[in-house]
Amino acid sequence: MDPTREGGASSAPPLPWYLHPALHLALNCLLMTVSELLLKKGATETALIAAPRWLAWSGITSLGSGWALTGIAVYILAFLNWLHVLRWMPLSTAFPVTSSVHVLIALGAWIFLGERIGLQRWAGILLITAGIVFCARPAAAAEERL
Amino acid sequence: MTTLSLVLYVISLFSLVGGQIFLKRGMSQLNRRPRRYGPVFAGVGSGTALLTVWFLIWMGLLQKMDISYVYPFQGMGPVLLVLSAMLILRERVDWRTWLGVGLIAAGTVFVAMSPPASGS
Repeated sequence: MDPTREGGASSAPPLPWYLHPALHLALNCLLMTVSELLLKKGATETALIAAPRWLAWSGITSLGSGWALTGIAVYILAFLNWLHVLRWMPLSTAFPVTSSVHVLIALGAWIFLGERIGLQRWAGILLITAGIVFCARPAAAAEERL
Repeated sequence: MTTLSLVLYVISLFSLVGGQIFLKRGMSQLNRRPRRYGPVFAGVGSGTALLTVWFLIWMGLLQKMDISYVYPFQGMGPVLLVLSAMLILRERVDWRTWLGVGLIAAGTVFVAMSPPASGS
């Protein structure tokens, strides 16, 4: 079902190109990647700030970082965008595409955050990405039913 | 990854998956007629609380380790959903799904074996 095509049985007007769900799905992958990288930058920045003993397990000090707060804002934006995607595309189609975020985050971490990712980690990330594609339909169906 | 970090990660994983499910269930209660707000607040409240726990643990892990080390563990989310469907909903799981679970498990082991902190 292509919502940007004219006519057809549906009486709803076609969507303009900038609302096309595939575009927003790609945008979502980008937004999720950016938000996680921003959160990581905020975490690194605040890593040495001491939290009260009982909260030492948490990263609560990261809330003092502008990077982290921006990351949260982008995360919320990504979530709202995801709702738009799901309005026009079934979850079982959209979900496997988001597995690309694993690769995107690794690339982004290497390029922007200076992380050193060896062959072993890359191999693991690619296996996980492929595995998610195989699991996507049952996982999505399970989430809808649970 | 230290044992403590692993335990925290597992808690965060259940919090993330559970939080999303409770939140979604709470929101879907808005569609019932006659509308009852009790279940909505219960769902949204517990969902938000769990997601907050997830977020706090997640940031704590990110403060100590590379994101390219920690994020791949999120692949266990779909595995958790598949296992839940099998055990709670009693659904049959076909070979493609098992292959996916196997790939994710193998991939996670590979990532876990790499050094957790290398970056800036």
